[in-house]
Amino acid sequence: MEPNHRNASITTPLVILMLSVPCLTSCGSTKETPKTPAAVVAPVGTPVEIQTPLGLPPVPIPPGNKPTADTIALGKKLYYDTKLSADDTISCASCHGPAHGFTDGLPVSTGVGGKLGGRSAPTVLNAAYSPVQFWDGRAGSLEDQAGGPVANPVEMNMPHEVVVKKLNADAEYPKLFEKAFGPGPVTLEKVQMAIASFERTVIAGNSPFDRYQFGGDKKALSAAAIRGLGLFKDPAKGNCVKCHTIEEKYALFSDGKFHNLGVGMNAEGELSDLGRYTQTKVEADKGAFRTPTLRNIAQTGPYMHDGSAKTLRRVVDFYVGGGNSNPQLDKDIKKLELSGREREDLVAFLESLTGEVPKEVLP
Amino acid sequence: MKTLAMAALAIALAACSSAPKPAAEAPKADKAPVAKPDYFKVDASTAGSVHGKIQFRGKKPARKKIDVSEDPMCAKMHAAGLFDESLVVNPNGTLANVFIYVKSGLEGKTFEPPKEPVVLDQKGCGFSPRVIGIQTGQPLNVSNSDPVTHNIHPMAQINRAWNQSQDPGTEPLKRRFVQREVMIKVKCNIHSWMRAWIGAVEHPYFAVTGANGAFELPDLPPGDYTIEAWHEVYGVQEQKITVKASSKEEIAFTFKGE
Repeated sequence: MEPNHRNASITTPLVILMLSVPCLTSCGSTKETPKTPAAVVAPVGTPVEIQTPLGLPPVPIPPGNKPTADTIALGKKLYYDTKLSADDTISCASCHGPAHGFTDGLPVSTGVGGKLGGRSAPTVLNAAYSPVQFWDGRAGSLEDQAGGPVANPVEMNMPHEVVVKKLNADAEYPKLFEKAFGPGPVTLEKVQMAIASFERTVIAGNSPFDRYQFGGDKKALSAAAIRGLGLFKDPAKGNCVKCHTIEEKYALFSDGKFHNLGVGMNAEGELSDLGRYTQTKVEADKGAFRTPTLRNIAQTGPYMHDGSAKTLRRVVDFYVGGGNSNPQLDKDIKKLELSGREREDLVAFLESLTGEVPKEVLP
Repeated sequence: MKTLAMAALAIALAACSSAPKPAAEAPKADKAPVAKPDYFKVDASTAGSVHGKIQFRGKKPARKKIDVSEDPMCAKMHAAGLFDESLVVNPNGTLANVFIYVKSGLEGKTFEPPKEPVVLDQKGCGFSPRVIGIQTGQPLNVSNSDPVTHNIHPMAQINRAWNQSQDPGTEPLKRRFVQREVMIKVKCNIHSWMRAWIGAVEHPYFAVTGANGAFELPDLPPGDYTIEAWHEVYGVQEQKITVKASSKEEIAFTFKGE
């Protein structure tokens, strides 16, 4: 291992140098250099700042893909466009649509040709804040994520080269891409960057909870929701905040980590989906899934990675029951001692997390 | 699976140099799976039986009302109230929900587990039946007939304890117990009042009393037996009995109240 390691540390600066050289030589001139290897794709317009509502921190932006009005607009068009699927029937919004809090209201989604996915469509709302994407975290960024469902045979079922060819042949898209990214053909990378930039604007905050917690409006929550918030935070009661985090100045309601609750057990008591383990092959990750945000949760049912919990009350009951026992059960999942009223209070609190979505992100 | 696990255990035990002696039942062969066990066949021409009743003496305590406020759906199902069923005295003065089984006398005999599952249903925010017997290796199906989520939790001490959430309309959970355990207390983690008891034994000679307080253990090979009767509130009693060829033996147990 040692010699390899030393090699790696020597080659790294070289790679960076090689990547930067073409940029240095080409940026000053107007002349095209089409054969340049690994040309860095970047938006050409002026970066815009994404305004965040009460209760959310600034949206994390990757340095290489600062959103512009053009990339956001292009991303939005792509997001709602069924041309991204093999038979022109499915868009991103088909499974992550605004009518259902940017999910689809189904336990698992229906893709091209009526094929069913294996997991429930997670919400795109506030996905911009998640350090990793997908239930199992297999994408490290929204850019990486955006390409996945397009090519997935049970989702949009369109190989990436076909998508790119289709968009290049389109009457509108080539000039929209040029406006957003400068001269050059449509590439998968540009598609992913544009969709990711749009998704960074799909954020929800300023809910009754935010106005109560961060806005100083003590009348924003009902008495039941205020009691529910107390239970949500109380380590001896709900202890929900352990994973569904609330910070001093904002709340994402997710630690961005992976936990095993025992969801998705078959009748014999075995995990039917190994979740994070499929990516890491680490035993402790078996059956662990990424903590989802709870924002706009009242709109995004059914719940859990397999859509097995139909209502928020069922979700609360699931946690009261201590999940499903299995060797990898998270150490913080325990039977909860909550009275009937306390269970209802938690539901009332969860219902107070529905916030505003910017109207610009709607179709 | 079970035989594989046992074989693995045997290998693990053998591999450990400090292990004083291999387990008596462990197969000698290091990898050959254990063949189908040599199940005992009862000779119908000599088999006898033990039957009887479980009597109750004393004052029948008033039934206690259960607080079901944890779940409004359960409360709705029991507008007139739900009552504690830990002690059910039948109109004929006998006790229901008593588990009776052969505690000893069958050593050395292996009985084939039935393929027919024992069903434990969750209905009306209670377990039904409250007391069940099952043979080790026999399938247990746990179903949910309620419109609410339950989380069944058999609090086994000898067998593996587990708990699993079960939504309305989902397929039955299928489990087995591998060792004798009398009794396994069963809770619902979501509804604290729910209670069931499972008696798991490695042979088919067990019964649970119903509305007439009677029990029968048929097809018993002749022999000397200890019969135990268990009740949730009053604990256990045992009696010795000899079953001669083709004889029908009768025994009675009496549990005393306050």
